[in-house]
Amino acid sequence: MDMEPLAQGTPKRRRWVVEKREKKKKKKKKKKKKREQMEDPQANGDHNHNHIPKKLKLSSPSSFISDSEIRQEFAHHQLGIARINNGSFGSCPASIIAAQKQWQLRFLQQPDDFFFNHLQNGILRSRTLITSLINADHVDEVSIVDNATTAAAIVLQHVGWAFAEGRFQKGDAVVMLHCAFQAVKKSIEAYVTRAGGSVIVVQLPFPVHSDQEIIAEFRKGLAMGKAHGRKVRLAIIDHITSMPCVVIPVRELVQICREEGVEQVFVDAAHAIGSVHVDVKEIGADFYVSNLHKWFFCPPSVAFLYCRKSPIALDLHHPVVSHEYGNGLAIESAWIGTRDYSSQLVVPDVLDFVNRFEGGIAGIRKRNHDAVVRMGELLARAWGTHLGSPPEMCPSMAMVGLPSSLRISSDDDALKLRTHLRDHFEVEVPIYYQALKDGEIGGDNWDGRVAGYARISHQVYNTVDDYLKLRDAINQLVKDGVTCNNLP
Amino acid sequence: MASDDHHIPNGSTTTPPDIQFEFAHHDPAIARINNGSFGSCPSSVISAQQDWQLKWLQQPDDFYFNTLKPSILKARLIIRDLINADHVEEISIVDNATTAAAIVLQHVTWSFLSSQFQPGDAAIILHYAYGAIKKSLQAYVARAGGQIIEVKLPFPVNSDEEIIQEFGKALELGRMNGRKIRLALIDHITSMPSVVIPVKELVKMCREEDVDQIFVDGAHAIGCVDIDVKDIGADYYTSNLHKWFFCPPAVAFLHCKKSDILNQLHHPVVSHEYGNGLAIESSWIGTRDYSAQLVVPEVMDFVNRFDGGIDGIKKRNHEKVVEMAIMLAKAWGTHLGVPPQMCSSMAMVGLPACLGIFSHSDGLKLRAYLRDCFKVEVPIYYREPEKGEHTPITGYARISHQVYNTVEDYYKFRDAVNKLFNDGVTCAFLSD
Repeated sequence: MDMEPLAQGTPKRRRWVVEKREKKKKKKKKKKKKREQMEDPQANGDHNHNHIPKKLKLSSPSSFISDSEIRQEFAHHQLGIARINNGSFGSCPASIIAAQKQWQLRFLQQPDDFFFNHLQNGILRSRTLITSLINADHVDEVSIVDNATTAAAIVLQHVGWAFAEGRFQKGDAVVMLHCAFQAVKKSIEAYVTRAGGSVIVVQLPFPVHSDQEIIAEFRKGLAMGKAHGRKVRLAIIDHITSMPCVVIPVRELVQICREEGVEQVFVDAAHAIGSVHVDVKEIGADFYVSNLHKWFFCPPSVAFLYCRKSPIALDLHHPVVSHEYGNGLAIESAWIGTRDYSSQLVVPDVLDFVNRFEGGIAGIRKRNHDAVVRMGELLARAWGTHLGSPPEMCPSMAMVGLPSSLRISSDDDALKLRTHLRDHFEVEVPIYYQALKDGEIGGDNWDGRVAGYARISHQVYNTVDDYLKLRDAINQLVKDGVTCNNLP
Repeated sequence: MASDDHHIPNGSTTTPPDIQFEFAHHDPAIARINNGSFGSCPSSVISAQQDWQLKWLQQPDDFYFNTLKPSILKARLIIRDLINADHVEEISIVDNATTAAAIVLQHVTWSFLSSQFQPGDAAIILHYAYGAIKKSLQAYVARAGGQIIEVKLPFPVNSDEEIIQEFGKALELGRMNGRKIRLALIDHITSMPSVVIPVKELVKMCREEDVDQIFVDGAHAIGCVDIDVKDIGADYYTSNLHKWFFCPPAVAFLHCKKSDILNQLHHPVVSHEYGNGLAIESSWIGTRDYSAQLVVPEVMDFVNRFDGGIDGIKKRNHEKVVEMAIMLAKAWGTHLGVPPQMCSSMAMVGLPACLGIFSHSDGLKLRAYLRDCFKVEVPIYYREPEKGEHTPITGYARISHQVYNTVEDYYKFRDAVNKLFNDGVTCAFLSD
């Protein structure tokens, strides 16, 4: 396009100078975008909240990830350790770590440009993918936070304000499961009890034999707690309890909560994504959180908090307040001061990774579940014990009874045994101490009493040898007459 | 040419760092004169951080049970010595100053809600306080019934006395009608515009006026100006180590003077450590990457390879940024917004009035334009002119100097603005 020569200093020339520069800039940007598109078809920087990228095509049979490739992806795991505790801290394959490092580098290279031009898009992209994964209606309902612990703080701080501002009355209750994660219990203490709320604790059975047992106990516990006309403002229900590990029939429990007039339901599904099927609409809770760094191959740490669209969702705030305060929880959570957000940005890379497996994440879940049940049964047979829950209530973890001769009599004993297994047998597995039920006779009668369970996990990197190592370690301890009492 | 940081100290056997190598990951095309916003991290520290990250990934359970806590304690001990605190219990490590503010202000909320404070009790804040801090006060203090009083500080400013005077007036206002001032929130170095505040004097004034508690937001301070928390005398002091102290994002310390209140402070993200003291609570807030908190020892090694250690770095950064600021002001016919003694490793340089910076959004547009078209990264501050000012300077560039900067960075900036000036470009012509 011909530009007529313009006189120096005229408004027309000034505008021409600016336009020329901006044209050059736009051309460069277009070239870069095209290059990025060719490298990654999903990098469209689309700000449209309703745009959900097409599902990635699953790999063809001949190109599924091989066993040796899996070993390579987890080659950084410490050699020699039977790592059967994916449940506690998760795991992350090498290709995702590499992708994360790329994001970290981009920030370090030019942090201002990263902050102004790339970070928000990257987080929105992750949120959009998660929205699709969990069958949420709208990406606005999905916020990304560090972990389930942070999500609990968000929801419970809101409850605290409701008490403080008179929307809730002193004595109004929050329901939780007896085996809720310790951080959740403490969060209830910090934000609910402190603000004048009361707590209803529902005891669930363990060992457990069926969903019906859980449903019955929950119904009973909730009804008892509501006695004297107490108003129940919030129920916190695990999708998969941590210790002991059991898949809870959340959909039914949410239904019971609605029937019993519980105002809001918060599902703590820390372990769920990548472990069991997650459909937030079907489950029907008001809030749902899960950690992507446990079973969904993300690096530490990243979790999503789903908040069903409602007036209350608009009043939720991240406890760390930045300049984004008031712009909605998802936007607030996307900037809580200068930090490393890279683990939140690799969700697209993780989808690529899981789709290298046959059946994608659903295939991984199924195979993990089948393997952990098989291994659980192998161990129970070897030790003469049993599983703490039936296979259909196990996710990718199983509770396997430990021989009574170990005499696990307390949480401390369980921790001692865990440490001993790590230090002397190179086996990493958490141990759960099952306290005696009311009326059970303890004392010195250890005959056949299973007071401890190992929570074994199975993730794609595990092999049968890991579980055989645990089997042999326990057998050795039993043979040597070791009890938790005489552990160092 | 790089600054004098690379010369070998007398009698020392440590090799000074290879600055080019340590910051080779910085985009070479950019004149990066904004260390103040997001800081910077040398390669040797990034490498140390990656080692820590790998340790976690290798065997997280073992790391959690045996390595994490003692390593955080090591970092806290180093920080305690750096800032002349008395006890390591007074030092908590958190993500950033924004998080520290949430901790302190959440405690203020509880004080209002439990009627220890009365509705209308006040919190005092500088008008130039960081945006996140102002929002935090809305979220935690105003919402709980507290009143916020902003101290308008002059800018351009010429001396500490101007600041002290304005602050005194605000304290008086705060105590009018028998109101109690529960908290004073004072920046050690304001962000925009960047000014070193005489915190020691202001803290003293607060004590004299019976202000309950004083919280110094020193986000920029560590690695930039001297910090002696005992000498400053505040109740709380926070600073980000990833801005001027070469740590990777993100790590900050919150110093809380030992008192009964220290036991009542909590991290807003509650883990099983709740109730074990703020430092312990902060050291475990769920599964996360804590590696940025663990490299403090490696950072000490890094800074001690420079002549004079961190003090030498501070001094040279300050001298260089003032020198560059004066050079730019001369080139553009403008002035510095603050005198040299009130500059840290940052300086506010007036931009030519003809650039037509008439709003905060103009400042942002100009910043983006400088980044995209001239490859210069520098934040622009918009100052609202006083009534009756004649062709006022309304825009200031906040230039930073860190060890990786060279004079070429500032020449590039000088030339960019000169070009805009010569082409008669104003913010009005820049697209949003």
